[in-house]
Order: sequence, then C-alpha cells, then structure tokens
Amino acid sequence: MKHNRLVKGSVLLLALLLVLAGCGNAANDTNNEGNTNSNANANAGQNDGAAQEGQERVLTIANPADIQSFDFHNNNTTVSESVLVNMYDYLIQRGADMELEPNLATSWERVDDTTWAFELRDDVTFHNGDPFTAADVKYTLERIATDEALKQHSLYNNIEEVTIIDDTHVEIHTINPDPILLNRLSRMGAGMLPSKYIEENGIDAFLAAPVGTGPYKYGSWAKDDRVELVKNDDYFGGEPQWDKVVFRAIPETSTRVSELLTGGVDIIANVPSTDIPRIDLSEGTSIVSSPIQRVLQVILRHTEGSPTADPKVREALDLAIDKQGIVDSIAGGAGTVTRTSVTPGNFGADPSLYEQTLYDADRAKQLMEEAGYSADNPAVVSLSAQSQYKEYAEVVAAMLTDAYFEVNLEILESSAFSEKLSSRTFGDLFMIGIGNSLFDASNNYNRFTVERNTGETDYDNSRVEELLQDALQNMDEASRTEQYQEVQQIFAEERPAVYLFQMEGIYGKRDAVNFDPRIDEMFYAEEITSAE
Amino acid sequence: MARYIVKSLLQMIPVLLLISLIVFILVRVTGDPVALMLPESASEADRVALTAALGLDKPLLVQYGIFLADALQGDFGTSFHYGQSSLPLVLERLPASFELAAAAMALAVLLAVPLGILSAVKRNTVLDLLISGVSVIGKAMPNFWMGIMLILLFSVYLGYFPVSGRGGFDHLILPAVTLGVGLAAQMTRLIRSSMLEILSQDYIRTARSKGLSELVVVGSHAFRNGLIPVVTILTLQFTSLIGGTLITETVFAWPGLGQLLVTSVNNHDMAIVQAAVFVIAIIVILGNLLTDIVYRLLDPRIKYS
Repeated sequence: MKHNRLVKGSVLLLALLLVLAGCGNAANDTNNEGNTNSNANANAGQNDGAAQEGQERVLTIANPADIQSFDFHNNNTTVSESVLVNMYDYLIQRGADMELEPNLATSWERVDDTTWAFELRDDVTFHNGDPFTAADVKYTLERIATDEALKQHSLYNNIEEVTIIDDTHVEIHTINPDPILLNRLSRMGAGMLPSKYIEENGIDAFLAAPVGTGPYKYGSWAKDDRVELVKNDDYFGGEPQWDKVVFRAIPETSTRVSELLTGGVDIIANVPSTDIPRIDLSEGTSIVSSPIQRVLQVILRHTEGSPTADPKVREALDLAIDKQGIVDSIAGGAGTVTRTSVTPGNFGADPSLYEQTLYDADRAKQLMEEAGYSADNPAVVSLSAQSQYKEYAEVVAAMLTDAYFEVNLEILESSAFSEKLSSRTFGDLFMIGIGNSLFDASNNYNRFTVERNTGETDYDNSRVEELLQDALQNMDEASRTEQYQEVQQIFAEERPAVYLFQMEGIYGKRDAVNFDPRIDEMFYAEEITSAE
Repeated sequence: MARYIVKSLLQMIPVLLLISLIVFILVRVTGDPVALMLPESASEADRVALTAALGLDKPLLVQYGIFLADALQGDFGTSFHYGQSSLPLVLERLPASFELAAAAMALAVLLAVPLGILSAVKRNTVLDLLISGVSVIGKAMPNFWMGIMLILLFSVYLGYFPVSGRGGFDHLILPAVTLGVGLAAQMTRLIRSSMLEILSQDYIRTARSKGLSELVVVGSHAFRNGLIPVVTILTLQFTSLIGGTLITETVFAWPGLGQLLVTSVNNHDMAIVQAAVFVIAIIVILGNLLTDIVYRLLDPRIKYS
C-alpha cells in the first residue's frame, strides 16, 4: 500500500514532465515539418550551409530580430522590410545601385505639382490568384494615408486620394506638393496589398494567410523563430531561383556566428567587429560589408544656459573627437567619416563634406580656454546614448574629457532612449544613429525645423528654417538640391550636430552563396545566388 | 480534497484582480509605446493622432475599466508590436516554454534523485565530496556562459547538435542541458540534506533493526519522506521556468514565453505584458495547487481544510 503511494507520487511528476516534453516535440515536429535545413547540416557536421536540402534549393538568412507583422504597413524596422520585400512589391523599386526602377508600375509622370499618373503592369497576380489592378493601388495607398494606427502612416499622410482611371492606370493626388512621393512609394509603407482579398475576408484573415505579388509566398511563421517563404511559380518577373527562403531570428550574436560556422544558415546580419576575424579565417565563410544609410552623430543642444550654446564650445567638441580613430578602433575600420549626414546616393548630398573630418585636440583645448573653460573648470555636459552605442559614447566622453569637458554619460535601453527622444528631454548631447529609408535630405533635416527641434536642440537659424520649409514642397530638383546643400554648409559651420561616421552593414556569408550587401540593408533573395 | 480544490480556485479571482490592477498601472507608468511605434521623422501631430487611435488619451480609470471588461471576455487587447490580439500570441508560446521547462526538469530529476540519494548514503566519502563539488560547480555556472560553451563544443566543433532554434528532439537537448544542469545541482543538494536528516531518524533505525535490506530502507522508507521538499522545489521551479528562461531562450533562439515577455516589456507592448502576466499567474497558482495535491499523495497525514 505504502509502496503504491510512493510510486504514484514520484511517477506522476516524472510522467507529467516527460509527457509535456514529448507533447511539445510532437506538436512542433508537425508544425515545422520539412524545416530541417540547419538541423540536417548540423547533425551531419557538414559545412556546406548551402542551398541544398535534398533537391530543394533553400536559402537561410539569420537576422538579429523577427519581423513584426505580415501587415507591411504596420512595421517600422529595417529587419521587417528586409524580409517582407520578398513577398510584397512596390510600384517602384530601388535596384542594387539604389536607382528607382519600374516594378509594378511600368511608367509614371508628374501631371501637376500635386498629381502623379502611373501606368501599371497588366500581368501581375497576387499569390491567391487575384489579379493586381488599380483598385489595389487605391486600397493600399488610401489605407496607409488614412489609418492613423498604422506605424507607417506618418510618412504617407500627404496622400489625399488615388483615382482609378482604368485597371492599369491610376492618379495619385497629394494634399501638398510632394517632391519625394516616388521615394515614399518605393519603401515599406507602400507594399501593395490585395484589396479584394482583405475586403472580403478582413485583415485578420489576411494576416493568418497573407498574400502579396512578390517572388516568394507565405509559407509559415513561428514568431521569434523563423519566417519561411516559398517560391511563387507565377511571379511576373520569372521563376524565382530558390525553392524556399528562411529568415531566422537569432538575437544572440555568438549564436548567429555559430550557426554560420556550422552551416546552419547561409548569411548572418549584424556581425560585431570582434567576430570578423573568426568568420574570415574559418573555412567556407567570409565577411562582406557595405555602407548603409545610417550616420552616427552627436546632437547638440543650443538652448541658452547649456555649455554647447556657445559656438566655440561646439567647435571644440567637434575638434576634440577623433572620428577616424573611432572608426579604426571600435568599428573595425567599417565606416566612413563625414561632416554631413546626407551621404552619397541621397537626394541633396553635398560631396564636399563627405569623407571629410575635423580633428585637432590642441585647437579644441584652445577654443575651450577662449570660451572660459580649463582643466580645473571644465564644461559640464550630459551625453545620452543607446546601449548599442555604449562603446562609442564612452570613447567620445573620454576624448571630450581631455578637452576640458566633464561628461555625465547616460546609457539607455532602446525604449527609454526612444521615450526621451520623443519627449525631447535629453540634456546637452545625445548620440544617435539616424537612418534614411527615403533617400532624401528632408529625412535628415526635418527634425531641425523649428516645430520639431523646439525643446530638443532649440537650434534656431531663420535662413535654415526658410530653406527647409521651402524644400519640403519644392518640385524643382536643381534648386531643391542647392537648398539642401546650403543647409549642409551652414550645419557644418554652426554644428547643431557633429557627425561621426557613416556606418557599414557587416554580414557573414558562406562561400556557397554569392551575396553583395545593399546600402538599404534589404535581402532581396533574387539578388543572392548559389555559388555551386 | 475536492472542497479544498474548489476553494483554492475561487481564491484565484481576487488574486488575479489584484494582479491585473498592479500590471495595468505598472505598464502605464513605465513608458509610452507611441514613441517606439512612430518613425524618427514623425511630428507632434502624428504622435497625438496615434495616441488617440490607440485609446491611450483616455483617463487611466476609463482605460482600466475597458481593459477589465474586455479581459473578462478573454480579450487582453491588441499588441502594438504585432498588431494582433495579444492572448493568442501569448498562448502560442506556451508549448515551446512547456517543452523546454519539462525537458530541463526531467533531466534535473533523472540526475538529481540518484546522485542526491547516493551522496547521502555514502556521506562523507570521496563519492559524496565529488558529487557535492560537481553540484556546486553546476549551480555556479551562469546559463549564458554554459549555453555558449555547449554550442561551441557540441555544435561548432563536434557537430552533434543543431546550434539554435526550435525543431526536432535534437534542438531541445542543448537548451535543456543548459537549464537542467543548474536545477539538478540545486536538487541534488536538497535531496542529500533531506535524506541525511531522515536517515538519522528513529523509524529508519527501527526499519534497519527489523532486518530490512538497505535498499528497502532507503528506497521505500527514507526516500518517500525525502521527496516532500523536492516536490516543492520542482513545482516552484517549473512554474518559474515557464516565464523566466529568457537567457537560455535568447542564447538558443528558442521562441518561448520569456523571450516574448521581455521583448514586450522593452517595446512597452502593454497588451502582451498584461496577457502574459495573467497566463503566468494562472500557471503559478495551478502549479501550487498541484504541489498541494502531490503532497497529499506522498504523505497521507497532510490534511487540507
């Protein structure tokens, strides 16, 4: 009797645990049937990583994070876009050289300052078989323009209406003249959605079984684990080269690197500079990199009372930071110094400020002395930075300390940083890497308009304000370029921001694939080819 | 027993209400999700519009009332991050978390029970010292470090197991070992001390004097009473493993509840945090109830009123 109870008690618990583990596995095996690329390679100890899974050609890419949603309009990360561009299409697409190319739209023209006419392809179908027509363009763009809860809405709220001329012709009307409408149409918030499918089934049904027009169709999504896309045989651009494209979400850097080394994945993103030699020296793997649209910068408060309100202090701050030294040491050489955030390839770039940097520690000290500071009487400033830029902020703080600054460093988690950014409650300086998915100088400078920077930097230059406001609606490209170039020259002189360097995207890849990283950090699977 | 179970279940209601209030207030005072959702270029008007669209401009009390009414119907709101209903997002993570927790637990039990008993029976011998020493090391190794070392050894160099992700049984082994070793070490120490205390009691001496074999004395008479503290730690650890294995989940890219919860806290994704805390609270309460029931099975002298 006693024995029975003992057995019951102990066995009950163990059995429960084993059954739970077993159930989990069984269920998961069913859910992930066929999903054994990394598994098979790792078990076999093979390092071919490649595209072969039996007869299937599989490309596996590891990002540090997952997509947010299959609702293309409700994402706001580069990682999300880099995955979803394989499933959805834009009217206009950026080619590998970042030039705008026809995609779902074959041609376009500006009718007047607020009207644009587009001709659409007539041979495109969504993955569910519905034809792509002007109605889908109207639905997509009016949705993103009017639904304030969508994360991409704020970049599209200048679109007033889309008029359907016929199935392959539309006109897009904007509220105000919009010189960068084409740039907007070639990025995340403008991925074409199937109007009929969503209107008939609702957005929840669409999200459970999303369809686009791209070369790859939805396969499965295990959140925070992997997105699997499968070949769309009916793709208008011809038969896609991969049978399956898998995007893994692997947040831990060392795990991503290990997956690459074991052949579990073909490409990994965000390789830290410390892991570059390990990948480069391993057999079958290498490092590839490309400049990206992000410029690391320190934004300076001009508010009266702040030490950085004094132009001499701002100049000293600029001269005290050895940007090239930072690139060479912390970034492992992966970066380009710049005195502007509008890098080549972006509308309005001023090439005279690119690949330029100022560094003169002695002159910095001299300027600080002229401003009334010394080693015994340093300028006390705060510097806030996101935790991902911790090392950069620490080095900048150390360099500034040598030039008669006393820096109170504040390292914040990304959410806390975003909140301070949003509420404009930073102190004297904050370090930020600002990207530019619009490829236009307006994206760099809108934050410096009076409306936006009051309370943040309090930078106030009436000429800059006039130039920025006018450029927002200036439809003449030549004069608009001049406007932004003038702004850049004024910024280089007055320093509302000190630019450190243009960052690079560093990727690890297996030799089995050919991959040239893009400036916009997208993974277009059709541009990544098998080397075997 | 049935009355006790019903009573325990009814007691969940005020507990869950209190938890709902605390979580509701905490997620709202710790940050504003709107800042994280908008692009860097968004204007003040965009912020106001999005705040209103999400219902975050209403007074807190009104928001809590809406939340409670919806929660009673199983609707914990829409995730800001995923744009989907939050409860299914939480529930779909449970199998992964259960799977990992159960595997780690099973491994811990399989290691700790024989080692703990052996350590107690062979007290103060070299074997005891060895087991105790290894246990201390096992407990002292940080999960993060151990996970990375296991990956380097068994995946990168030996190629025995996949590096990360959730898939077949082989995907489960390294994360389960990472989690299970620490637990096993802790349980081994607990079983050892519990067994030592029991083995010195009078009824054990009586059993031995009756001429029973050592196997029966230890296995049947002593081990059974030694199980009570083990069951306590087992159930407590199991429930905490469900929501709290973030480090192991991150190292192995294991899509469990812990990872979802921490990502959601970082994103100020209120709906998911609320739903996840609720689900974890229910699991903890049910886990504690199960502990009580197992106590009763192990020791009939334990009564519940």
